[in-house]
Amino acid sequence: MAAGVDGGDAAGARQHVFLIPESVKDAAKKMRSGLMFVKLVSPCSGEGAMYLFNMCLQQLFEIKVFKEKHHSWFINQSVQSGGLLHFATPMDPLFLLLHYLMKADKEGKFQPLAQVVVDDIYPDCVLLLKLPELEKLLRHVTEEKEIDNRKYYKYSKEKTLKWLEKKVNQTKAALKTNNINVGNRVQSTAFFSGNQVASDSEEDYLRYAHGLISDYIPKELSDDLSKYLKLPEPPALLPNPPAKKIKLSDEPVEATEDYTKFNTKDLKTEKKNSKMTAAQKALAKVDKSGMKSIDSFFGAKNKKKK
Amino acid sequence: MDDSDAATARQPRVHLRPGSLRDAAPGTLHLLPCEVLATRAAPVERFFTPAIRRGPDGLRASFRGRSLRGEEVAVPSGFVGFVMATEGPGAGLPDPEPPQRDEPPERGWDHRAAATASFGRFTLWGLEAVPGPDARVRGALGWPSLAAAIHAPVAEG
Repeated sequence: MAAGVDGGDAAGARQHVFLIPESVKDAAKKMRSGLMFVKLVSPCSGEGAMYLFNMCLQQLFEIKVFKEKHHSWFINQSVQSGGLLHFATPMDPLFLLLHYLMKADKEGKFQPLAQVVVDDIYPDCVLLLKLPELEKLLRHVTEEKEIDNRKYYKYSKEKTLKWLEKKVNQTKAALKTNNINVGNRVQSTAFFSGNQVASDSEEDYLRYAHGLISDYIPKELSDDLSKYLKLPEPPALLPNPPAKKIKLSDEPVEATEDYTKFNTKDLKTEKKNSKMTAAQKALAKVDKSGMKSIDSFFGAKNKKKK
Repeated sequence: MDDSDAATARQPRVHLRPGSLRDAAPGTLHLLPCEVLATRAAPVERFFTPAIRRGPDGLRASFRGRSLRGEEVAVPSGFVGFVMATEGPGAGLPDPEPPQRDEPPERGWDHRAAATASFGRFTLWGLEAVPGPDARVRGALGWPSLAAAIHAPVAEG
């Protein structure tokens, strides 16, 4: 799922609606080129994702797309189907570097960065090496050695977990101060997955922040981080598995009867749903979807989870 | 997606013309609660805009006979809205803007994009009712402030 910038279809009629930091616009006043969208690896899924580089100020931005069914844009005197809204937000390049450092760690030795950040599929990853203050950044997640004025790096899980803990804490603080997340109504219906636990408990914030950070690190590291943070196993309702699955699997026979009733009810309401208008259907879908991570901001993506 | 080497070796960069960000004229954007399958010119000013009524409880309009209720929504602070259009592949064409010194040479299959309009707010429309505070678009507009926290550098030590 590229951000859609890669389309370049012959018609040339496609328009992309973007929100971009003012700083990029201001920088653009002085530059003649050096803004570019490139495809790099997503550190979480390992698949391709769109990023924006500002080569002038040497900044990295990730592109996230808001996508919800049944939307379109009127842009001046034109119509653009899809109703996509792209966000370019500053990205900590360390998440991307970490992806390569962890991969290189399988070889278990100190290596120069230029040997670590290599990618046959996303060769533009070399742009990362141009970002400023890399050495300072890398100290958060690597051990380093200096031989003959050359730096060699090796991934350190210990340091990385410490770094990630700080990330989680600062994200947690932002969740608390951020109106969008603290508003009770919004929180229970949109940000937390129908959990009946008091929705503003410390643990919920921690778990939610962990979920957000997990969208930037591989699954194994996310699990390690969960242990490191001493996050208790989430109560039976994991955000991801569909409710149906739970109903069908572990319920004792007696209980199944009740649930079957619910199931048939569900089916009936689903049939009713088909009589709803398209817009109402879309709304119904929105209400149901479990919201956990960054995806919750950008509509249902059929993202493969490892 | 990564099915062939040929495909993966062609990860085009899309160069965005910085000048276009400076010069983009303000545009008018409406986010409709329905999917219009076409992507093309449309006489919005002739049919949609004149039907918009401003009442005490927001904006009203109609589209294809359905009643819409809307509200103007500002882009998050610190951000600017742009409409971008990709320009045709620049293959073989001389580069009008020579690349900067530290930029790798441009490849033939790279694309170019330019901002064609800018905006600081857009009109969000809902079917029969203004999209409430739980609407996902509104959630998405809260993303930049959270992203800032996630990606802010952490203190050393």
